[in-house]
Amino acid sequence: MSLRRVVLLAAMAVTAAACATGAPPVEQAPPGGMVSSQRQALVASYSERAQALETDGRLREALEARKIALTVDPDNAAARDGLRAAQAKIDGLISQRLAEGRAAQARGAQVAARRSFLGVLALDPENRAAFEALREQTPDVEGLPHIVRAGDTLAGLAQQYYGNRALGEVIAEANRLAPNARLAAGTQLKIPEVPGVALIRPGARKDPPHASLPGPGAPPATPATPATPASVQREEPAEVNPLLVEARESLERKDYATALGDADRLLASTPSNAEAQALKRSALYGLGKTQYDQKQYKDSYATLGQLVKLAPNHEDAAKLLRQSRGRLIDDHFGRGIRYYREEKLPEAIAEWKAVLEIDPQHIAARKNLEQSERLLKSLEERKQ
Amino acid sequence: MRGRGLGAAILLGGVVLTAGACATSAPPPPPPPSAAAPKPPPMRQSDDFLVVIPNTRETSASLAAQYLGDQSKAWMIEDYTGAATFPAGQAVVIPKRPWNLTGVSATGYRLVPILVYHNLDRAAKGKLVQSAASFEQQMRYLKSEGYRPITMGEFLEFTRMGRQLPKKAVVLTFDDGYKSFKLFAYPVLKELGFSATLFVYTDYVGAGRNALSWPELKDLQAEGFDVQAHSKTHSDLRRAPGETSAQFERRMQAELALPRDMFKRQLGQMPETLAYPYGWWDTDVLKQVKASGYMAAFTVRRQANPSFVSPLTIHRSQIYADMTLEDFAKNLTVFQEEDLR
Repeated sequence: MSLRRVVLLAAMAVTAAACATGAPPVEQAPPGGMVSSQRQALVASYSERAQALETDGRLREALEARKIALTVDPDNAAARDGLRAAQAKIDGLISQRLAEGRAAQARGAQVAARRSFLGVLALDPENRAAFEALREQTPDVEGLPHIVRAGDTLAGLAQQYYGNRALGEVIAEANRLAPNARLAAGTQLKIPEVPGVALIRPGARKDPPHASLPGPGAPPATPATPATPASVQREEPAEVNPLLVEARESLERKDYATALGDADRLLASTPSNAEAQALKRSALYGLGKTQYDQKQYKDSYATLGQLVKLAPNHEDAAKLLRQSRGRLIDDHFGRGIRYYREEKLPEAIAEWKAVLEIDPQHIAARKNLEQSERLLKSLEERKQ
Repeated sequence: MRGRGLGAAILLGGVVLTAGACATSAPPPPPPPSAAAPKPPPMRQSDDFLVVIPNTRETSASLAAQYLGDQSKAWMIEDYTGAATFPAGQAVVIPKRPWNLTGVSATGYRLVPILVYHNLDRAAKGKLVQSAASFEQQMRYLKSEGYRPITMGEFLEFTRMGRQLPKKAVVLTFDDGYKSFKLFAYPVLKELGFSATLFVYTDYVGAGRNALSWPELKDLQAEGFDVQAHSKTHSDLRRAPGETSAQFERRMQAELALPRDMFKRQLGQMPETLAYPYGWWDTDVLKQVKASGYMAAFTVRRQANPSFVSPLTIHRSQIYADMTLEDFAKNLTVFQEEDLR
C-alpha cells in the first residue's frame, strides 16, 4: 500500500520535473538509462520511505526500499550509507532474537521461542536457523483450556471460540477425539489456536504477554455466542471409507448380494472393521430373508447359517434359519415321496439322504431310506 | 481487498492529476526519432531489483515477459507492487528474484490453504458427495478472486524454503480416488488451468465400483495431476489398544510401505507424501511414516499452513457438500496477522 504510494509520488516528482524543464527528460538520458532528475526524485522518495519504515519498526521493508534507491543510483553515497546502517541494525537484531529464541526453547517456553524465531524471519525471511527451529516446534504451542459443561458440543465450542462451527474438527483433532465425539461434562479440553482465525477468548481473561493469537491486527474479540444444545446437532464423521459407502448404498437399494460382496472386500483388508462386520450381517440377513420369501430354502438355509455362525445371538436370523431348515427338509422329504411313487428309487434315496444330512434324527426319512435301499437291492438281485 | 481498492484509487487519482498538470504547461511531445526502433524505456537494475519507467501503458504480464523473461512470473510484479497495470511514465519496481521465501514479514505471515474434496456427483448426497455444479462454482470463485491453485510440489518447496509462492496460492486435493474426479472435476480443472493432487488408497484403486483404475491414474499423472498415497486399506493408522509393537509395525509395513511399491509398479514412481486416513495420526504413526520414506503427510485439520509447518502434520480443510460459497470462502485464509516488529 504505502509502497505503491511512494512509487506514485516518485513518478509524480519525475513528471513534475519533466514539466518544469519543458522537455521530456527521456530524450537526454543515455539509452536505457535515466536522467539525473528522475534518478534524484526516485532516490529521494525511496530513502524517505525507508526512513518512515524504519521509524515504524518495519526494518526488512526499509532495507528493500534502500536497495531500490541504490538500484536507481548505485553511486549515491547517502543511499549506500543508509543501506549499510540498516543492514547492520538488522544483523544485530537477528543475533539477539536468535539467542532469545534458543534461550526460550531451552527453558521450554515454546510461545516465546516461536515469537523470537518469527521475529528473525520478519527481518530475514531466508534465515535457515529460525526456519528450522519453527519447523521443529511441536504443533499447538498454545491453546486455551476449556472445562466441558453439560450441553457442550464440538461444533458449539468451535462457534464459541472461533465463530465457525466447522472448526469443531480442529478441537476434536487437538484433543484426540472422534469428530463426532460426545463431550463428557467436567473433561478438560484444549482449544487450539488456528492460524488465520482469531481465537475468541472468554470474558475478562488476560492474554499472556507473548500470546501468539490473536495477532494485534486480528479483528477484536466479539462476545462469545452460546453453544447450541447437544441435542440439536450431531456431527457426521469427517470422512468415511468409500467401500463402506458402496456397501451401505447397496444395502439401501436392497441389493443384498452386492452389499455382501462390498462388505467382504472391505473385510478382506480390515477384518476388524466393526461397521463392515455390521454391514455384512445386515446383508446376510436381507439376502437370507429374500431367498426364504422366494422359497429358495436351500440358499436361505446356507446364507442364514453363515449369519448365525457370525452372530449367534441374532434371534431373527436363528428363527428364520430354523424355518428355512424345516422347509428345506419338507421339500426334500416330499420330493422323495414323489420319486418313490414314480418308482424312481435312486432319486428318492438321494432326497432322503439330503434330509438326513440336515437332520440326522429324521426318523421318517431314515425309515423310508432304509426301505427304499432294501427294495432297490432286491430289484437289482432279481435282474441278475 | 479493501487495501487494494484504495491503492488503485490513489494510483488512478495520481495519474489524472499529473497528466492534467502537464497538459497545461508542457509543449507537445517531439516526434519519435525512428518509427522502426522505439526507444527503450529508462531502466536501472541491481541484483535484486529492476526499476523501469515504461513508455507505454504496461501490464504485469507484459512487464514479466519483457524483464523476467517469463509471462507467468506476472504474480511477482503484482505481489510486490500491489498493481497489475502500470501507466506510462511512472516508475515500476520489479523484483528480479524471490524477495521473501518464507512469507514472514513485520505484519504477519503467509498461509497456504489446502482443500480436500471427496466424491462428486450430479446431485449432492449427504455431506461427502458434492454436486458437480457446486464444485464448479467454487473453482470459478477461486479464479475470479485471484486464487492460484499450485501443484503439491510447489507447495512442498515452499515448506522447505525453496520457493516463494504467489500471495493467494491454494492447493487442491481429492481423496480416495473416485471415478467422479475424471467425470466432473477434471474438465473444470483443465479449463481453468488448475493443478490438483489425488490421494488414493491402493485397496480401492480399480476395486470399488466408483474407483479410478491404475491406468486411469497413470493417464491423469501424465497430464500433470499428482497422485499420492492414502494408505492401503484406509483404516485408522493409530496404534490400537492392546496392539503389540510387532503387530503395529507389521500393520504399518502393509499400510505405508506396500503402497509405495505398488505405486512404483503401477505409476512408475513412489509417492512422496501421504494423506492420513480420516486425517488421524499419533507420534508412533509419525515415526513410521518418516521411516517408510514419506517426505510429508497431511491431516484434515481445518487450517491453512505457514511455510514453517511441520512437514508430517500439514493441515487440510475438508470441503463438504452442504457448504455455501460463503462457508467455502472461510477456508481460504492466506495471511495470519501478527505484529513481528
